[in-house]
Amino acid sequence: MTSQTARTLGASLRYEFRMQVRKRSVWIVPALTVVLFLLIGGSLLRDLFDPNERKGQPAEARTAVVGLAVQVHALLSIGFGCLLADRLIRDDRLRVAPILDATPARPGARLVGKYLGAGAATAVPILVVYFGFAAAYAVHTDAPQALGWALATCAVVIVPGLLFVAAFALTLPLVMPAPLFRVIFVGYWLWGNVVVPDMMPTLARTLVHPLGGYPLDALLDFHGIDGDDTWAGPVPGATLNFLRPAPTPTTAWLSIAVLLVVAAAALAGGHAVRARRA
Amino acid sequence: MRIEISGLTKTYRGGVAALDGLDLTVPTGMFGLLGANGAGKTTLMRILAGLVRPTSGRVTVGGHDMSTGAGRTAVQRGLGYLPQDLGVYPDLTARQFLDYLALLKGVDDRTTRRRRVGELLEVVALTGDADRRLRGFSGGMRQRVGIAQALLADPQLLIVDEPTAGLDPQERIRFRTLLSQFAGRRTVLLSTHIVDDIAQTCGEVAVLARGRLIFRGTVDELTHRARGRVWSVVTDGPPPAEGMVVSALPHEGGTRYRVVAPAAPDPRARPVEPAIEDGYLALTTR
Amino acid sequence: MRPLTLWRYEARRAGWAALLGPPIAVALGVSAALANPRPGDATTARILLGALEMAVPLAAGVACASLVGRDPAVELQLAAPTPYRVTLLRRMVVTLGWAAVVAGLTAAVLIATGWWARWPANHGPFAGQLTWVAPTAGLGAVGFAAGAVFRGPAAAGALVTTLWTIQQFFGDLAQRHLPGRLLYLFATTRGAVPGDWTENRLALLGAAAALVALALVVLARSERLIGEEDE
Repeated sequence: MTSQTARTLGASLRYEFRMQVRKRSVWIVPALTVVLFLLIGGSLLRDLFDPNERKGQPAEARTAVVGLAVQVHALLSIGFGCLLADRLIRDDRLRVAPILDATPARPGARLVGKYLGAGAATAVPILVVYFGFAAAYAVHTDAPQALGWALATCAVVIVPGLLFVAAFALTLPLVMPAPLFRVIFVGYWLWGNVVVPDMMPTLARTLVHPLGGYPLDALLDFHGIDGDDTWAGPVPGATLNFLRPAPTPTTAWLSIAVLLVVAAAALAGGHAVRARRA
Repeated sequence: MRIEISGLTKTYRGGVAALDGLDLTVPTGMFGLLGANGAGKTTLMRILAGLVRPTSGRVTVGGHDMSTGAGRTAVQRGLGYLPQDLGVYPDLTARQFLDYLALLKGVDDRTTRRRRVGELLEVVALTGDADRRLRGFSGGMRQRVGIAQALLADPQLLIVDEPTAGLDPQERIRFRTLLSQFAGRRTVLLSTHIVDDIAQTCGEVAVLARGRLIFRGTVDELTHRARGRVWSVVTDGPPPAEGMVVSALPHEGGTRYRVVAPAAPDPRARPVEPAIEDGYLALTTR
Repeated sequence: MRPLTLWRYEARRAGWAALLGPPIAVALGVSAALANPRPGDATTARILLGALEMAVPLAAGVACASLVGRDPAVELQLAAPTPYRVTLLRRMVVTLGWAAVVAGLTAAVLIATGWWARWPANHGPFAGQLTWVAPTAGLGAVGFAAGAVFRGPAAAGALVTTLWTIQQFFGDLAQRHLPGRLLYLFATTRGAVPGDWTENRLALLGAAAALVALALVVLARSERLIGEEDE
């Protein structure tokens, strides 16, 4: 990477972060999500803080904060993707694209800067929610190690998942209307993360699982808050089982790498589309 | 349509005062509005068009009180409005865009609408491009579409904000003529930075600065404000430090500067006849 | 009654997402039913009705969330004697109307082919149409109101999709209390208390009416619609 490219990437990242993080909606949408979640009963909080919920046995710190991560990630990533869906096409709408294109800054570096900057800014409220609850749990149960597990979970589950979502959220609206992307994205999120593999062909529990089935299973030894769920690996009778090797630390890291490679491919595709239109 | 404005104040969120106790009467005919960026012209025009509500003060247009919904709707029925930042629907052709806006302006009869749209496309010289999508229009062509839509419902009040921006000199002159012909017994409020447009079309003019009225009178009176304050200096050195340089022309032995200043900016300066632009500058650069 | 031409223009303004969303949603739902490797009648019927109760409302809700904000000619609209909020309401009617056409046709096909009757909680061919009418109106109104408040499709769309997802992920939790049961979007295909169905559908329609009224009140403040969008 040349120094000019690095400077472009750095500047783009900084300003995209600033512009996105001060959008009111970036904060309001996750806040409303949490409020809605609490209004309907908030099972994650009862799992964490209500001893009666777990027959007097509070979940141990790792299980608790990893379970929390799964719920936060599954819910708040929807708003994350939807909020990012207009970020790239916004440059054209606001008529700044020709100005930026006329600078010597390389478009690819600007795209990566926008991806990382806007993505990081939109992720800030999600991380605030997650680490806020994790810290409350750590204090409530006097288990400071919970914060360490929260950091590890964030690194191997939440961040790769969000990077994957952000790449598609930025680039797919180049080829379809952003509202249509939002509908398809939610459908995908449900289908690719939650649908049971023996019900219909799905990417859930495969190596391409943005909710992080392999790292949850093989790196964090998480099997649901009650310890009887399966998050990765082959499912008898299911299609696409060739994408579901047995969960091991190696396949977990492979799963993370696959998510990042697919994200990079989506960005490269978006870059190519923009270059062709220029 | 006579416009009466008294004690008009508009303060936006964050405490930015765009208009500050403005009193102004706009009679029938062409009326010019001048002022620097941020003087409050666009806010005033938006209030008169019913887009923005005043913070305080009273505005009546043709006797209709703009603080009531009924008053605003009544004014909008006879209003033609060309905003400074004209947005169009890029997927529509010029004809469709005008047809759609005619419907929004209450021209429901199809035959009347078609005739009116055709006439206006002719007026703004876009008949040949009428069935092209607006996406491919140049800035000047879009502006002409904007002018056409403002005239759609034969408005009694025409509010035009920077209407000649993006037009070439011939288009500008044609548009000025069109506005003057249109005015007649109607009211045309023309806001612009191009002082010459006002000079060529408006009998009366108001100048705003920081949300307040600092001048109201005829174009001649505005010009007169600069009498004894306009100077011509020829020098091969730097421009005069005093006053506002209006123009700088290459001249034998250096550059000829036209300067607006309260006193001679240079011992070699000689007084010259003022123009309306000088009057405006004399007023706003005290 | 305004000319049909005006409605045609508003249909164009509603955008491609409003046009393509409902048929794509139905197509995805039908694909999911076809992909079911255990085609038990009831399960497949449930997925097919789910396309109407879940997918169509989501598409309509996101499309309605995209109606407010980013209108390039908003100043011209606001200066016209036709109130802009009426214009937006017209676009919403067009959006929901198209979703209704797609859902209605799909329902007719399901009834004609017998799939409708194979879901035990189908509530009949007539009253049963509330299966898609109520959540489509409800989520459409949520989107429209959120658009009016946020003045931008990104936030409004995010709220609609999040609300939909929460009710998907936590269907049981959402129905533990009466208010949650009454406002649950998927009471036909995932309803826990069948006795609440009619009240649930009517409550959703009532909530939709209230939200549209709220949106119209908010949209009356035209000044909010020019500039200052949360970009």
